[in-house]
Amino acid sequence: MTEPIKVATVGDIDDDEAIVVPGDVNGTGNPIAVFFTEDEYYALDDTCTHAEASLADGWVEGCEVECPIHAAKFNLCTGQAMNLPATIPVRTHKVEVRGDEIWLHPGVPVEGAVLEADQ
Amino acid sequence: MSDAVPARVPESVAIIGGGLAGFTTAQSLRASGYTGTVTIIDPEGTPYDRPPLSKDYLAGKADAEQLGLVPADWYAENAVEVVPHRVDSIDPDSGIVRCADGSRTQAEAIVLALGGRPRMLPVPGGDLPGLHVLRTRADADALRGELAAGRRVCIIGAGLIGAEVASTAVDVGCEVTLIDPVKIPLTAAVGVELANRLHAMHEEHGVQVVEGMTSSITHGEEGYVVTTEDPTAGEFPADVVLVAVGIVPNTELASTAGLDVDNGILVDPAQKTTHPRVWAVGDAARIRTADGILLRRHEHWESAMRSGETAAASILGRDLPRHGAAWMWTDRYGHHVEAIGDMTAGEPVVRTDNGRPSAEFRLDADGTMVGAAAIDPGTTIRAARRIIDRGIVVDQVQLADSSVPLKKLAR
Repeated sequence: MTEPIKVATVGDIDDDEAIVVPGDVNGTGNPIAVFFTEDEYYALDDTCTHAEASLADGWVEGCEVECPIHAAKFNLCTGQAMNLPATIPVRTHKVEVRGDEIWLHPGVPVEGAVLEADQ
Repeated sequence: MSDAVPARVPESVAIIGGGLAGFTTAQSLRASGYTGTVTIIDPEGTPYDRPPLSKDYLAGKADAEQLGLVPADWYAENAVEVVPHRVDSIDPDSGIVRCADGSRTQAEAIVLALGGRPRMLPVPGGDLPGLHVLRTRADADALRGELAAGRRVCIIGAGLIGAEVASTAVDVGCEVTLIDPVKIPLTAAVGVELANRLHAMHEEHGVQVVEGMTSSITHGEEGYVVTTEDPTAGEFPADVVLVAVGIVPNTELASTAGLDVDNGILVDPAQKTTHPRVWAVGDAARIRTADGILLRRHEHWESAMRSGETAAASILGRDLPRHGAAWMWTDRYGHHVEAIGDMTAGEPVVRTDNGRPSAEFRLDADGTMVGAAAIDPGTTIRAARRIIDRGIVVDQVQLADSSVPLKKLAR
């Protein structure tokens, strides 16, 4: 777990899009994708658990992101793998909006996430 | 069986074949809350995923454990028994499944997920020992053991498997010859523009591409020699020969059991065969529509999965899942290729990227999209899926403009 960091300002991330916070920046060593959809922010480990692909480049719809390579879907709220070919969930990270600043808590899973901290 | 009487949910389901379609049938049954007995019978044992067999697994970048469709404890947790036997026969009327070792099991529902076997070449030497095919993990293991830098690899068939193996073999450092009678393979799958660009990638990566019908394979002290029907084309020596000319669906269990078969086990859109106790899924199943039209077997990953989902719903007497346009992907030389829908229907609209075709869309006369294919598409094909499935009519000028994200047109 690392200190929370400011990763964006409201308006930086378009609807149904994501930005990637590199692993050396977020302190976990793994890139984290921060998504904005339906007026909420979500953060997941950026790398698909099935194959080498960036979930930030995926298709965001209905609280799910679909991997751009093999179409495995992950729940943005819980990190759960929703369909094959992925079976392993991705880590979630807490996102907080402070005023118009978006703060990421790397390594802090959201409540209800499939993967808990340090799992 | 009268249509007026709703079918009872069977208390046991025997799934013969543990590929993706068979596995998905079991998984969907359990996901739907089904509590009856579920058995997967396959001589290969625990189900695994096949797409990596011609890609990362063949290249040695993925191991057998990574091929698992689910974590190994899933089967025990979900009470799905995997029986590693070969099935010799089924008796649909009694539900008895006989295995080669003499054991038998009985189930109220039988799902045939038999897949296909590689087609062999009907030419002299087409049955030589040591020729490779690629369908199973064992096939991939055998081929992987032969790929090494400097080895001469002759691949007969430049379809998806042949092209993927060519790419993998080039990556390993092999000298690759790729023979196919078709000048530009895969035009039906991705459209002629992309097929051209994809096929050209072989020569760009040092592969010797030969347009010709293989006429013989011989084996001597210097290894194999492959010839084509064109006597002026020369001979093609090789240390390793892969025959990748498609599959023959495994229909024998079905035909012996009296089910209707025609280049595939005939099923209705609910994956039901002509016997009320038996369903068929995956590559070996072929849909016959209500008006008697035989559809083409769609030998792709997603189709296999969907057919399993449909069969599970049908077995449970539930509403069938609604599936949209069919999707496939392939990879070669570091490029990812996807296609969705029908690339043979309608008229083309082509996008280019630095002068090269990067995507092709097929539009019906009324402007509705019926197919799309793209190289390194990002979310383009996902967007096309939405456009096709929802019948969204998009602006054709914007559609042809690579600078317009398709995602914008799909919303």
